[in-house]
Amino acid sequence: MFVRRITNFLGVAWFCLAGLSAEAAHTEARLILAAETARPGDTVLAGVQLRMDPRWHTYWRNPGASGMATKVEWQLPAGVKAGTIQWPVPEKLPDEDLTTYIYTNEAVLLVPLKLAGDLGPGPLDLKASVSWLECDLQCVPGQAEVHASLNIGSEIKASKDADYLHTWQTKAPKNGEALSARAWWEGAGIGKSRYLLLEWNSAAAVSEADFFPDASEDFEVQPATGRVPAAPGKFRLRKEVKKLAGDWPRQISGVLIQQSGPARLAYEVNLPIESSPTAAAVNTSPAVATGVVAPSLWKMLLYAFLGGLILNVMPCVLPVIALKILGFVGQAKDEPRQVRKLGLIYALGVLVSFLVLAGLVIGVKAAGHKAGWGMQFGNPQFLVVLTALVTLVALNLFGVFEVNPGARVMDAAGTLASKHGPAGAFFNGVLATILATPCTAPFLGAALGFAFTQTAGIIVLMFVVVGLGLASPYVVLSWQPGWLKFLPKPGVWMERFKVAMGFPMLATAVWLFSLIPLHYGKRALWLGLFLVILALAAWVYGEFVQRGRAHRGLGIAAALALLVGGYLYAVEDQLRWRSPVSDTALAGSLKEGPDGIDWQRWSPAAVAQARAQGRPVFVDFTADWCLTCQANKRIAIDVPSVRAKLKEINAAALLGDYTRLPDAITTELNRFGRAGVPLVLVYPKNPNEPPQVLPEALTPGIVLAALDGAGR
Amino acid sequence: MKRALTLLGLLGVVTGAFAAAEVGKPAPEFTATDINGETHKLSDYQGKIVVLESYNQDCPFCHNHYRTGAMQELQRELTAKGVVWLVVNSVSPNYPSHRSPEAARKEWASQKINATAWLDDSSGAIGKAFGIRTTPHMFVIDQAGILVYEGAIDDRPSPEGDPRTAHNYVREAVQKLEAGQQLAVSQTKPYGCGVKYGS
Repeated sequence: MFVRRITNFLGVAWFCLAGLSAEAAHTEARLILAAETARPGDTVLAGVQLRMDPRWHTYWRNPGASGMATKVEWQLPAGVKAGTIQWPVPEKLPDEDLTTYIYTNEAVLLVPLKLAGDLGPGPLDLKASVSWLECDLQCVPGQAEVHASLNIGSEIKASKDADYLHTWQTKAPKNGEALSARAWWEGAGIGKSRYLLLEWNSAAAVSEADFFPDASEDFEVQPATGRVPAAPGKFRLRKEVKKLAGDWPRQISGVLIQQSGPARLAYEVNLPIESSPTAAAVNTSPAVATGVVAPSLWKMLLYAFLGGLILNVMPCVLPVIALKILGFVGQAKDEPRQVRKLGLIYALGVLVSFLVLAGLVIGVKAAGHKAGWGMQFGNPQFLVVLTALVTLVALNLFGVFEVNPGARVMDAAGTLASKHGPAGAFFNGVLATILATPCTAPFLGAALGFAFTQTAGIIVLMFVVVGLGLASPYVVLSWQPGWLKFLPKPGVWMERFKVAMGFPMLATAVWLFSLIPLHYGKRALWLGLFLVILALAAWVYGEFVQRGRAHRGLGIAAALALLVGGYLYAVEDQLRWRSPVSDTALAGSLKEGPDGIDWQRWSPAAVAQARAQGRPVFVDFTADWCLTCQANKRIAIDVPSVRAKLKEINAAALLGDYTRLPDAITTELNRFGRAGVPLVLVYPKNPNEPPQVLPEALTPGIVLAALDGAGR
Repeated sequence: MKRALTLLGLLGVVTGAFAAAEVGKPAPEFTATDINGETHKLSDYQGKIVVLESYNQDCPFCHNHYRTGAMQELQRELTAKGVVWLVVNSVSPNYPSHRSPEAARKEWASQKINATAWLDDSSGAIGKAFGIRTTPHMFVIDQAGILVYEGAIDDRPSPEGDPRTAHNYVREAVQKLEAGQQLAVSQTKPYGCGVKYGS
């Protein structure tokens, strides 16, 4: 009796004593800090270290089929705030068929501690209550009170554990932005089971990959991972998701694991789940990952309208507008109603063209090919046709030939700009639209970017609003004939003005021509020669058929002969315009000149690599046909101050050439809510921070300020 | 290649092993012996509400329910209404948590278990058929033999504290069944330690 009492007492006493130590039966917990002394306002890295006996394990933030995640409850003095835990990458333990995510031996859960700016000097006692479940063949709950001391002073003094904690920082998953990961449902699912596909960019050869999901109450991602074939440079996984309650999830977060050779890389991702792969290609909420806030629809429509307005003064549209003014001046004396009608028809021409463009975009999007805004100019054949067209218009303006009213659609090329009356107004509208496309003005960029990520209905709405912006000045003028008062009276200056406008049109033709060598190399010469032949044919037609009285038939024959001959020989045979030169992969540096910026070719892997090296990254997405990009380059990027700054902060400079509209860049542009170039990004030194998106119109000041911030 | 095959194999095994009981479908039939040597079949209890509780006293989650007396109270409350409560122990003999029938009888008495019977599932047959993953993992089968609830016993996954303060899904399911109402919650994520199946 007495002996039993003593044994009971000793047993209880033993239990109490065991509870006091910071050691449960098989795990030891400790709180470590990276700094001994820190200043108010600093962020100090803390680590909760768990050391487990062999064979015993603790759990990740998602324990898996069973178990319990380690919990840390802070008891911090005022002025100290704990951030979220950075969990190291766990091991996946397929135990029988129940998978759990565990840590063995040692795990350090990193927590950034933010110190308030107004903390007084002196020692601080940082405490935390850590609870976990440790399991071997059996499970035992563990609990420990841990604490560490931090001094607040006037300088930072690293502790002896600083290196150790930084090693553990490298074991935490990296930010998965650079992977451009996407997630979408494979189908509608059967009952409570549905398959999820995950895809991301991976430059290096991946031998194995997996996805560790975060825990959820409403659904469970099953542990088995299937690999699915994907395009080169991409990796695709398939996971089954079982629904427990509510609707299918719209967001999936977790850690992507990738094994490339000996390296096991892990990335944190938080992705919206799309319902189809093409929808997934245009990410509608890059907000969390990139820091770009998805703007409201009304704001975007406003930007679209303003963008349309601004398009009126873009260099590629201005000549047509000038011609439009001519038309107005001519009509101003006539009935105001006629003028109003023409203004509306012009607007209609613009709107119809934009609707056609919208339809094209929707169609192309549906076809799976990612559509970029300047898509027409990336198509070599279209470029050839447009160059020839614009040349003809210039010639027509110079008066080399006229096109009579009532001419057929085939002759519309030359007729378009100079025609009067309703048809002329309509085609003016169409031509203005066609020429506006590569000029993505500042406001327009974001608005269109938004539109491209939206449904077909919104795309149509956006395009219509841009069209309204483009057409509105003329509608206004046509409805306020009073304001036409301010337009000059007709006279001989009109004819001179018309001829003078031929020169900007010619300049536009030359600019278009400059894009030809990109697609045809040296063969571009033949297009030039064809244009000369075209001019000759136009003159023959104008001089002998239109203005001539005799030998009309001969004139037509000669003009036709020149046209056809020129086309067959110069365009088909020598230029071989159906087969443009393929992309020659230029390896290595794209440096222009000895002092130029050392541009490397952009790729998601190049970004990831540079960030992993701890370098800031400067990314410029540009295209040869994008005037805003070229202006930016000349004024704000390729200048001595920026070149020096890039060298100073050891930034990697990556150039994304969008001239040929490569898919990879379209995807990247869409991720940042843009439909076209320019897009300039500055990735800070700290690989966990999102990139800064610079505005479309750049100044050296803007670029330098961004680079300054990135280098810190 | 080998890894891919292993993964595919695992996928197959997982789906095979746990293409198990589904909420809304008839619960799988089973035949098992309890620790007193008597045979039980699920079909024996047609017309009664049946609750299955996966059990392992060595798991701190399960242990907490018994230590506080909450589990025994719930068992008494429901069996008094005519519910058949079957404790299922699927721990394989390979593990120290395994209980021989004799040890089990001792534990039944010392823990004052108030269930209808303790089924010896050391082969893991019932566990695999129902897809039992953790201890405790609860299943509620209605009078017609349809599985109506599967998952956690309550909304408080913790190895300490009083489970009586938590919202108990099993009690709610039985109440709804008796009232002839539709269950609000039919499936939740079960918590606890992994079931120690043998291979």
